[in-house]
Amino acid sequence: MSGQSIGLAAPAAGRRRPKLPLAAGSFVPRLLCGLVILGLWEGVVRGWAPAYVAKPSTVALAIPHVIVDPKFLAATGNTLLAVAEGLAIALVLGTCLGLLMGRSVAVERFVRHYVNGFYAMPMIVVLPLFSLWFGYSSAARLATVVFAAVFSIIMNVADGARSVPREYLEVASSFRSSRLRMLYEIVLPAATPYLLAGFRLAAGRALIGAVVAEFFLAIGGLGYFILFNSRTYHHNEAFVGVLLLAAFGVGFELVVVWATRHFLPWYRREEK
Amino acid sequence: MQQTLRRNAPFWISLAAGIALWEIAGRSTSAAFMVPFSETMLRLWQLVTGGQFVAQFLDSAKLFLTGFFIALIVGAPLGLLLARVRWLRVGIEPYIMTLYATPMVALIPFILSLMGFGFVPKVLVVFLFAVFPVLYNTVEGARSIKPELIEVARSFRSTEWALWRDVMLPYTLPYTMTGVRQAIGRALVGMVAAEFFLSSTGLGQLIMGASQNFDTGGVFASIFVIAIIGVALMRLGLVIEQHFARWRQ
Repeated sequence: MSGQSIGLAAPAAGRRRPKLPLAAGSFVPRLLCGLVILGLWEGVVRGWAPAYVAKPSTVALAIPHVIVDPKFLAATGNTLLAVAEGLAIALVLGTCLGLLMGRSVAVERFVRHYVNGFYAMPMIVVLPLFSLWFGYSSAARLATVVFAAVFSIIMNVADGARSVPREYLEVASSFRSSRLRMLYEIVLPAATPYLLAGFRLAAGRALIGAVVAEFFLAIGGLGYFILFNSRTYHHNEAFVGVLLLAAFGVGFELVVVWATRHFLPWYRREEK
Repeated sequence: MQQTLRRNAPFWISLAAGIALWEIAGRSTSAAFMVPFSETMLRLWQLVTGGQFVAQFLDSAKLFLTGFFIALIVGAPLGLLLARVRWLRVGIEPYIMTLYATPMVALIPFILSLMGFGFVPKVLVVFLFAVFPVLYNTVEGARSIKPELIEVARSFRSTEWALWRDVMLPYTLPYTMTGVRQAIGRALVGMVAAEFFLSSTGLGQLIMGASQNFDTGGVFASIFVIAIIGVALMRLGLVIEQHFARWRQ
């Protein structure tokens, strides 16, 4: 998909982007559009909505006291920890399964339809099942995060492992390299860009999984913070949570795009 | 006949093995934890013949289709407009990207407390899930149009309509269809999320109800159906995308 283009939103990536001459002149229209959007939002809410509805001015006023609120910080830490833990599990599991699937035809044939199927399934439908299995606990949230994240990693790593140039493996095997070593030193590095692309998708899905799990299971975290505050008509405070989630969503993307460019400069995915 | 059978053999074998695995796993664990395949199918049959299933399914389908098509009708033309009006595209792009990456589920509590439990708020949820992939990918396509093409068209005194028909549309449509494929998947998530967290209806309610009654068979049966729907829709999306990808360079 569009790995390269996300960087457009990132001023930090600016110096590595000679192909976009309009980036320099784009600041003014962006600022204007942003102001118009905020102005419209403010105007509509002031004119037609009840007073408790979040609008830019009141959200901005809420930010200073929300971000020092220990409850908010604890909730953020809670969610991020669950997402990180789930992503780590999904990364290890997904890489192993993906490598296996990409390099072994038998495994691929057996597993492919299931991986595709689970990937296509809207991940949140497993929540009621996980709540039966793990109870209304953070274990159910962790399971949801792993479930949401793992399949995109498997699929991408398998794609990457399959696309290793045949010559590399032939050279390695003619030098009598062991299969394990080939997997470790040729296939895995070659699949790393795919792994990162899968990880980017997985991170977004994991975040959604964590938030939905907190809504559903009513366990502490950023999702629950948003739910609780919006139920008690503290929309401005709740919206600060949404802003933070959006920042995480964009942040994950930027970090992965940056990492691909920085650590894997040899990798070009034909400008898609 | 024989050849197609042989070609599809791995698929059927893997399917049979998966079902066998499910059956064994279901039989060797407690019934509250996991239900074997045979019992899941039995429960599904009961749900279908009981009549409630079809009604719930149609309910979900209505929600999905309404939200999805509104997203398409709004997203694609807006994306095309952004393709043409360059300063607007440059200005609005980062915001579309941000919204594309934002987990839209986070907005559900707001929608709930502002709009309540009707059909409209649920459509809004599906719409919000689906619209940004369409918009984002259309804008992406718009960016891929070479400025020279428009310049050439202009210098041949192309009319505005011809420019849209022969340059804009063919160039952006394949990207829009990538967006459509992504939007189908997201709209399905949005549909289930709306049914879970707003008024409980449709397939979402079927799962929730079964889970609250500790009816593990019902949970498995409904998840199975949603998974099948997910796979079918994903396939459909791929077919649509590939159909239009043929003319994409």
